[in-house]
Amino acid sequence: MGRPQKVSLAEAVRLIQDGDSLTFSGFTIWRRPMAAIMEMVRQGKKDLHLIMVNGGPHDDMLSGAGCVKIWESCWSGHEMFGKIPGNLARKAEAGELICEDYSHVQMLYRFVAGSQGIPFMPTYSAMGSDMLNPEYDMLGKAGLRDGSNPKIPALKYEMYTEKFTGSEVVLVPAAQPDWCIAHVQMVGSEGTVRVLGQNFADEEAMKAADKLIVIAEEIVPEEFIRREPEHNLIPPHLVDYIVELPWAGHPSGCFDYYEADGEFIKNFYNQTRTQEGFDRWAQEWIFDVRDHDGYLNKLGVNRLEKLRASRALGYSQKVKRGSR
Amino acid sequence: MADNDHSKIGEFKPFDLLAVAAAREVTDGEVVFAGTGLPMLAIMLAQKTIAPNAVCIYEAGSIGGRPIDLPTSVGDARCHYQASIANGLWDVFGLLGRGAVDLAFLSGAEIDQYGSVNCTAIGGYHPTGKRLTGSGGNSDINSLARRTVFIMVQEKRRWVERCSYITSPGWRIPKWPGGEFVHKREVYNKAFRGGPGAVISDMGVFRFDDEGVIYLDTVHPGFTPQHIQDNCSFKLNISQISGETKTPTYHELDLLYNVVDPEGIFLR
Repeated sequence: MGRPQKVSLAEAVRLIQDGDSLTFSGFTIWRRPMAAIMEMVRQGKKDLHLIMVNGGPHDDMLSGAGCVKIWESCWSGHEMFGKIPGNLARKAEAGELICEDYSHVQMLYRFVAGSQGIPFMPTYSAMGSDMLNPEYDMLGKAGLRDGSNPKIPALKYEMYTEKFTGSEVVLVPAAQPDWCIAHVQMVGSEGTVRVLGQNFADEEAMKAADKLIVIAEEIVPEEFIRREPEHNLIPPHLVDYIVELPWAGHPSGCFDYYEADGEFIKNFYNQTRTQEGFDRWAQEWIFDVRDHDGYLNKLGVNRLEKLRASRALGYSQKVKRGSR
Repeated sequence: MADNDHSKIGEFKPFDLLAVAAAREVTDGEVVFAGTGLPMLAIMLAQKTIAPNAVCIYEAGSIGGRPIDLPTSVGDARCHYQASIANGLWDVFGLLGRGAVDLAFLSGAEIDQYGSVNCTAIGGYHPTGKRLTGSGGNSDINSLARRTVFIMVQEKRRWVERCSYITSPGWRIPKWPGGEFVHKREVYNKAFRGGPGAVISDMGVFRFDDEGVIYLDTVHPGFTPQHIQDNCSFKLNISQISGETKTPTYHELDLLYNVVDPEGIFLR
């Protein structure tokens, strides 16, 4: 692997093929690569296989647009801005996409295994839950565990009695998606990646994937980012593509840069409870604005300025969040 | 009236009592895993009253934050403020796995008499059910924390004999892959370290007997055991009631509205 290539958002997204498997940076409504998600919708991606430690507005949006065939994760939704992942739920209930449910730890451990190059990880988590009910092995039931897709393991999990202490544990299979699309605050000009604030499961996601696209709020001189290497997460040789695109995480939040736009997410949730609603919303916010610049222009400076994080706190105190 | 006097019916909202009852479950010095919403109010209230040394861990990766603004989700930048550690899931779930989490607050759409909870699909799994959010860390935390406290809405359709889908394993659960329905101890063996300790609803506080079956402990003022039985679809044990749930004190209400959630995010 050589140095990462700097590309535009549209170029980066064009590399993703129909049927590819993907994972993302972030946690629920925080630091999701939303501009890339909207560009995937614009480019009409199909049959995507999402494998995620947890979901959020991003997988719900891709689901609403009909881009997703398989969803493997533990959770999706909009935190307090929308009770359920409305689009994912509608598509799953109609049988248009397959949901394969794991627990949060199980998904994390699948990525740990993937990032370490080992075939599985053991855990005690979620034993006795219906995630382990053989009836609910949805990829198995769909006949997709036959080895024809290298990204789908032969088993959903295996119960195993280890001989060191005689404990029964759950073995969960490694996840190594084709792509990780990560949204981060900062990347050096040569590709060193820095994440500010909580890093969630970003390191595991970025290292488990075969290819990594990093979208950064800003590209900084490599010399600057190497002054404090202990604050960096990923070295340049693991990064394949870099896109510099401020506000590309909106409406999710980006620590030290901007607040999650709860009002925007709540509107998305309320307006996309039906397919017609989703299509109208996507027309207005994805297709008519044409690209990320058009999207930011439509949001407007005033809205973005309110969301901008305080340099002291890492979040904004200018957004009205409650009733008082 | 003194600060530590208990308020009267009409002086507090049902939601306030939920937060206060949850906060009273915390023992000082405990390590507490809290999720979004009411659990955040509860742990922050506890830290300002009976448990100043409780350590709060949020699932997204922060430990011991001292937020000056109420977080609205566990990934919130506000959880990071003055935290001792801001890291990620591998770190905090590792602590959970290691047995270092004493107490966790959880919720769900459906609960059964053994403290198992469903937050994946209502009315059965695919293709019959209505899809919800899915497990998140609920199942992991109920599996491996020493004690969990659930905050639930008291409705007949939500209080069921057995969850239509067990997302989060309580005291009696299936042992997969066979599915024999057994006590949690038989499923977890050496990793067994506890389970659901209490359930707090908008009508009462519940606990679990030695067999892992739920019973009514205290009844919120304004309700009767019969009200609660009418909003529960299985036969509830009401033979061990210890009394009435204590209402919020004026001091607790003041903290909730003026210190913990002055913006009116959850306490509208």
